[in-house]
Formats: sequence, structure tokens, C-alpha cells
Amino acid sequence: MPKGEFLLEVRCEEIPARMVRKATQDLGSRIFQELLNRQLTPREIETGFTPRRLMVALKKVPGREPDRSEELTGPPASVAFDAEGMPTKAAVGFARRCGVEPDELRRIETPKGEYAVATVRTEGRPTARVLAEIVPKAIAELNWAKVMLWGDGIGPWARPVHGLLALFEGETVEFELFGVSSGNTTTGHPVISPKSIPVSGLSNYKSKLRKRAIEVNFEDRRKTLSKGLAAAAAELGGTMVEDPSLLDRLTAMCATPGVVAGRVADKYLELPREVLIASLRDHQSAFTVEKDGDLLPAFLTLMDRADDPEGHVRRGNEWVVEARLEDAVFFYGEDRRKSLEERAAALDRLSFHEKLGSYAEKTERIVELCGFIGRQLDWQEESRDAARVARLMKADLITEMVNEFSSLQGVMGGVYAREEGRPETVWRAIYEQYMPQGSSDPISSTRAGRIVGVADRVDTIIGILGIGMTPSGSKDPFGLRRAAQGVVRIALEGEMELDLDLVAARAYQQYGSRLERDAEDVLSVWRPFLFDRIRHILGLSDFAYDEIEAALEVGATNLPDLRARVAAIHMVREEPGFRSVVLAAKRIANILRDAPEQELRADLLSEPAEKLLYQAYQNLKDDIKKAEQEKRYEACLRTMTSFADVLDRFFVEVLVMDENPDVRNNRVALLQAIQRSLSRTAGLTAVVVEKTGDGNGKAVNG
Amino acid sequence: MNSFQDLILKLSEYWAAQGCVLQQPYDLEVGAGTMHPETFLRVLGPEPWKVVYVQPSRRPADARYGDNPFRLGKHYQLQVILKPSPSDVQALYVKSLEAMGIDLALHDLRFEEDNWEAPTLGAWGVGWQVMLDGMEITQFTYFQQAGGLELAPVSAEITYGLERITMFLGRKRSLYDIEWVPGGVTYGQVRHQDEVEFSRYYFELADVEFLRAQFDGNEAEAGRCLEAEAVLPAYECALKCSHLFNVLDARGAISVTDRVALIKRVRRLAVACAKAYVARREELGHPLLDTEALEAG
Repeated sequence: MPKGEFLLEVRCEEIPARMVRKATQDLGSRIFQELLNRQLTPREIETGFTPRRLMVALKKVPGREPDRSEELTGPPASVAFDAEGMPTKAAVGFARRCGVEPDELRRIETPKGEYAVATVRTEGRPTARVLAEIVPKAIAELNWAKVMLWGDGIGPWARPVHGLLALFEGETVEFELFGVSSGNTTTGHPVISPKSIPVSGLSNYKSKLRKRAIEVNFEDRRKTLSKGLAAAAAELGGTMVEDPSLLDRLTAMCATPGVVAGRVADKYLELPREVLIASLRDHQSAFTVEKDGDLLPAFLTLMDRADDPEGHVRRGNEWVVEARLEDAVFFYGEDRRKSLEERAAALDRLSFHEKLGSYAEKTERIVELCGFIGRQLDWQEESRDAARVARLMKADLITEMVNEFSSLQGVMGGVYAREEGRPETVWRAIYEQYMPQGSSDPISSTRAGRIVGVADRVDTIIGILGIGMTPSGSKDPFGLRRAAQGVVRIALEGEMELDLDLVAARAYQQYGSRLERDAEDVLSVWRPFLFDRIRHILGLSDFAYDEIEAALEVGATNLPDLRARVAAIHMVREEPGFRSVVLAAKRIANILRDAPEQELRADLLSEPAEKLLYQAYQNLKDDIKKAEQEKRYEACLRTMTSFADVLDRFFVEVLVMDENPDVRNNRVALLQAIQRSLSRTAGLTAVVVEKTGDGNGKAVNG
Repeated sequence: MNSFQDLILKLSEYWAAQGCVLQQPYDLEVGAGTMHPETFLRVLGPEPWKVVYVQPSRRPADARYGDNPFRLGKHYQLQVILKPSPSDVQALYVKSLEAMGIDLALHDLRFEEDNWEAPTLGAWGVGWQVMLDGMEITQFTYFQQAGGLELAPVSAEITYGLERITMFLGRKRSLYDIEWVPGGVTYGQVRHQDEVEFSRYYFELADVEFLRAQFDGNEAEAGRCLEAEAVLPAYECALKCSHLFNVLDARGAISVTDRVALIKRVRRLAVACAKAYVARREELGHPLLDTEALEAG
């Protein structure tokens, strides 16, 4: 085993796939951090896992702790030493506690007087001893989403622990945890290769496990599984329908990434593609295979073993898959015995939320809201489609298929609408109503879909906020954050020039007396909630937080417009004069804080610098206003930069707080006018700029 | 190939050989083997216990008039409790599969996360569904709480779904085709009429007023028994309430708000029985604590 190498393996019963990867990384960083705290910093760290083992390897760890010397302060010198300077009883006691001889005590001067001190030298311990202390603690203190006890009440941990391999430079690091003693062996598969295997170090460990077809490295395992899947798909004459999250999940669930390729009867291909994929994925964690865009009657999934010598694994999986698909065929047949319209009529019996009424009521509210949104956008035809969509969009919640596969909600409604021969704009909008789901998902492809998407989500958000269930911390049972994120993305990417505050207010109205909180209260929660999502999403497109804040100060919930303002600041902020204007705007805001509105009179202007500023104002104000109205925000900001020089000169030469109240008030009025001009496009004061660099540093505080 | 009764015989024999008490089904309608007092009450407190039994388990809402090849209103569970959970419990389980004649060198056996929770029993546990070649064949749970009480020692519960295992291993297309007797009577011949008539009862015939009155009556009776410190009779009444609730539910006689209230009432009984049982065992001096017989297996 290489010098400085530490190898740890915790063997246990199967840890859930969703927890094990992060836990292993945590375990690695905990041990690393503890070593770092003791100046035993490893050069490299490697982690790996299977469902039954967590592995951490640290390389080039120093062999022992550095020696330490520490000064401990004891009693005051007057107490510690007698008239002859000999240590007193108190000093002897202190020295004993510190483990030094009384004559080794020294005196030091402190702000509180003279004290006795002892220098305590501690010899560094061998790393193996340190590891024996920190490793069991790091294992025991891992954070799990769910823990359990076992046996007589041992634990808590994610699952029972059965074995500990801990080696430093080839020697066992001895400790005990959960009644298990550490050692220098591992084991293979619990059924196929359960015997103890002696291990000398990391590379020996990995090669011995590999010989038993166990791969502890997650990435390597995924690569092997992915290759195996691709090869099996090719053998079936097609390619695999990719599903990265399923691949990750399967990789975390196995030690040996084997592939099962199964076939199903051709008749199941009559099921819609979506159903086939969902059934295989949700029930059997299986991939589908396609050729030229059509699914093949086959599936691919994981087996946690290298081979299937007698075909039992394949036949077993095929049997289960057929049973599941048989169910799906049954549901599909049942569902089509009623039209979506008939199902929608039964939505009054499906509760949306006990305080917010049924899905029939929700449907009515969405229909109304679609009209409202359509009028705001002047998307007339699309909003008529949207209203038709809204009447049908929740009908699939009472189909057998969605009952069985909740992941198919929306999609199933779309499929059934398509089969009923409804126009593409309608079935697509139903189909895509829950898009986007994740941050990389596209939004609905149709305008009608975007309208219902916004209406449905705003209705939910306002309803849930309205009964006082504001998400907090990790608690967001109704997924309001995701809903709001959806609204923001649909409005932005769908170019919906929509005042979302108005939509929210309208959504509130439609609940009538159902909501417990009053409108103002709800909207005051809605706004920061929405703003947080806006910040997050605009932040993802490389806009700086201060650019977003500046635009949000204008308060627009028309998101494409907001984005245009943010983009304008982003483009213009490095241009000459902009920095100066921002500083001036901040200075103006300071001066004007709380100042009452004053009337501006040209005849009261006397100083050349203020006349010049007034002149500039007269020249620029209309251009600025016009540029803002025409949404040419970059031009608007650039025009403002023309104020830079005259404003700088004004602040150098003119004292706003003149003794003469008329002069003073007039100067305030001039600055108020300028401030109004400078707040077109964005709140410039929110933009962060360097305060020093060109001599204007002091002006900021003016 | 295993018949239905082969499976019962082999698993019972295997677990009896591991020192389990070979018990019999509880003589009341229950929804799962967990509700048998041999599980629900024995897992409480410090006394060790090992038991195996078959429990016919009634799920009225799953009844399908004998038409559905995969679903039943009553199915048979084989249930094992090992308390405290031995450290080699997974290995013991794996050997039980070998005792059934499954050669694991040729199959894919995986333990996938599946935690169990029974709100009406105030109980939850952590564990897996055990997958054999892609089929769920067993539910494996470490009990953490029952009747609202934290458990230590912890029991391991192993529940085999007998129909599904027999069907899967025999690659049958329908439950009703599985052989109950090797080469003889089928599951359908034994049970089909039962499924048809009880489906009719659960969905069409059951008298809602009568059932509700029974529920109220049993609840009151449970209370009386608890006051008289007769824990086991009280628990029987609680079980009856639980089954009555399931029938009412299948009958479509329970509204959403109703449902929450009824579940609460059953839970309250279960929790009270659990507490009373723990107290009673303590009074009795935990007679099983020193039993050498349990070690003999």
C-alpha cells in the first residue's frame, strides 16, 4: 500500500439509491475536514459506493500530526510567586495541571497585569491513532434523510452496518462502531461471493472487487451500464430512448451493472408511446428501444449481476412487464369509453383542495383567467383556444391511466384529445400544460398552452397563499415555487407582455369569499415570492444581481419588458459616463431623501453650473422619456450618460443647501426633475459601482 | 414447480427450523398479517419473539369479482417476525428462498427501498421490497414504531405475498390458474366463488347503516374492555373497526372528511391498546424475557 494512503469501506444492508451517493461524498469530506483541522491534509480524495458499501480513500496523508506548543495562562504573578520569586502552592497546582515542572513557569505581561504562564508541548500523534478517533464519529454522524434502529436498538443509521474495512498504510485502523470491529477484509456479493477477502490497499481492493464483478466507482459503473444498454439496444435492432435520470438511478442501485434485454408481444405497441414509456419506466425502471422514431416491442433494464446463464432474469422481467402492460391496455380501453368532455363534467367530485373547492371550480376560474390574459395580450384567437383547452385540461385527472401513472397527467389528456380528433393547437396545449417541469424543460409550444399554463399556475399560487399556506424553507407541499418558476419562464420565453400583478389580482377576485386572507395581504406575499423566482431565473442568464435589482425597482411584472431593462443595464454599465451617472443618482437620492416636492423655476437659477444642468435637462428629458416609451432602454440609459459631466460639475460648484430657502428649494426641484428622468428604465441607485478611481469618491456620501 | 401449498409448507418448515413459533391465522378479518396480535402486540416492549404464520388478508377495495388476473379482495400473506432483528436476518431470508427451491446463483435478487407506514396503527418502519428477477416477492421491514410507541428492540418483519410468488415462479397468466395442490386443485377452484360473492357484498350488498352501527358498537366495546384492562379483547374490537372501515370505504360510503375522522378513531383505539398491552406485560414481569426456549431454534 502506498505511503500515506487511508482506505475505508463501510459495509451495510442496501441503502436507498436516492441517499447513498451524497452520503458517500459527505463521509469523504467529513473525514477530510477533520484531518485538515489537525494539519493532516490529504492530497487526494476518492470515493465510491454500491448499495451495500460506502468507500472513501485518502491519499498522501502525513504520517503523524505536527508537534504543538501552547501557552496556558495561570494565576496572576503576585499569587503565583512569593517574595523570593519562588512558585507558591497555587503555581505548583497550575503547573501540575499543565503537566510541567513548577520551575518551568514564566511570567508574562498582559493588559490585566503580570501572569504566570506554562508552555505545554504536545507531541503529534500517529495518523492511525487520529483516524481511529475521527472515522467512527464521521460515520456515525452522517446526515441521512431517514434513519433507523436495528437489533436491540443499535443505530441510528440509514441501514444496519455489518462490516468496516479501515487501513492506513496497509495496517488496520482499529475502532468499533455499532458493535462491529474494523478490520482488513471486505466481502463480495452476499450470495455469490460472501467470503472474507483480505485487502492491502486501494488498488488491491478495487481489483479484488472487480474480479468479483463489483465496481465501486459510480462513473465507471454508469459508463459500463450505458455501454451495455447501447449494445443491447443495437442487438435488438434499434437505439435506446435516453433517460439520464433513470440511468443514474439504476447505477446507484447496483454493484454489478448488468443489462437485461426483454421482449414483449407486438400488440402492446398499440398503446400510445407515452404510456409504454411511462409504464416501463415507472413500474419496471426500464428503458424503451426505438427505431426510426417508432418503439420496438422490447425493453432494457438492470440486473445486479454479470450474466443470466439460464435466462431466468430475462423471463422474470418479461413476465412482470407483460402483466403491467396488460394493466395499461385495460386502463386505456376503459378510459376511452368516455370522452374528455364527459369526464370533465365529473370534475365537481374531485377536490382540488378542501378549502379551495373542486376541480370543476378550478376549471371555471382558469377559463375566466384565460380570457383576462388573452385581452391583456391582445391574443384573441389564442385565448379562445385557451378557453377550450381549459375546459378539458383537468379531465384526465379522473382517468385510470393518470390514476396509475401520475407522471402522465396532462400528457394523457393530450393523447385522448388527439384521439378524439381535436385540433392540434388544443390537444398540444393540454398535453404540454405541466411544461416546464424541470429547469431544462422547454415551455409549452403553443400560445394557447402558455395562456392556460400561466392561468392554472397563478390560480393555484393565489389560492394556496390565500389560505395562508406560504411555502417556507423546505416546506412547499403544493409545489408553489415550481409553479411560480413556471409562470416566470412561460411569460419570459413565451414573450407574454403581461402585468402579472393584475393577473394575480384577478385570480384573487375569482376565488370570491373562499380565501381567508384579504387581497392586499395575499398580493403582498405573492410579489416577493414571484420576485424571488424572477431573480433566480434572470440570474441564470448571466445577468448580475444588481442589474436585476435595479430593473425590479421599477416594479414591472411585465417580464419580457423587465428582461429588456436588465439587458440594457448589462450592456451599458461599462460605457463611459454610466458609472458617474449612477454615483450622481445615488448622491441625488441621499440629498432628496424625504424632501417634499418642490416647484422648479428657471428664473431662480443663478450659478453657471446649475444653469448648465438645467439646460441639459431641457435638452435630454424628452429623449429619455421617448426612448423609455419606445422601450429602447439602452438608448435611454445612454442618453442619461450625457448628464454625467454637468452633474459632476454641479456637485463641485454648487451647494444645494443654500441659506436662501427659495434658492435651496429650487435646487431641490431641479434635482427632483433630474431624478425622475434618471429613473426611467431602472432604479440606478441599485447598481453597484466602484466608489473610488476618478476623484468622485467623496461625492457618494454627499 | 412449487404449488401454493408447497410454498406454505416449505416456508413454514424453514422458519420453524429457525426457532419460530408456528402460529395460525388470526380468526378475524384483518387487512394484513401485521395486524395479527402476534405481530402488532408482540413487537412492543422488551420481550423477544419469533413467529411465523399465514394470514388471509382482506382488502375489500381490491376485490374484482374474480375477473382480474392480478387482484384479489382476499390474499394470503406468510408473515415472519424476528425480535430483536438478528444481524444475519438478510442471510436468513435469502436461505428461505433457497428453501423454496430458488437457486440464487441463477437469479437477480435486489433490495429496493420501500418504507412502510400504517397510519391506522400508528406504525411505521424502514425497509425494502425484495425484487427477484424484476418481481416484488417480499416486503421486508424493520419496525420503528407501533401504536405510536418507539420500538427497541427492533423487530424484522418479513412478509411474503404467497399468490404472487407462486404465480410468478409458475409463470401463470392468472392467479386463478395457480396450482393449490401439486398437479391438482387450482387456486380458482378453491377461491373463485369467494372472490365473486365478497365483491358483490363489498360493492353492492353491504348495509351501510348496519356497518356503521357495528363500527360504533365495537368502538364502545373496545373502550369498555380497555377500562377493564382486558387488552386482547379490546384489540379484537379495534381490528373489527378497522375491517368495517375498509368495507365502508369499498362500498363508497365514506366522504373525504368522514374518512379522516374514522381513521383517527381506529388509530386512537390501536394506540390505546398498544399502551395498555405494554403496561400489562410489565405487570406480568415480561415473562418471555428469560425464555430459553426462544434461543433453542
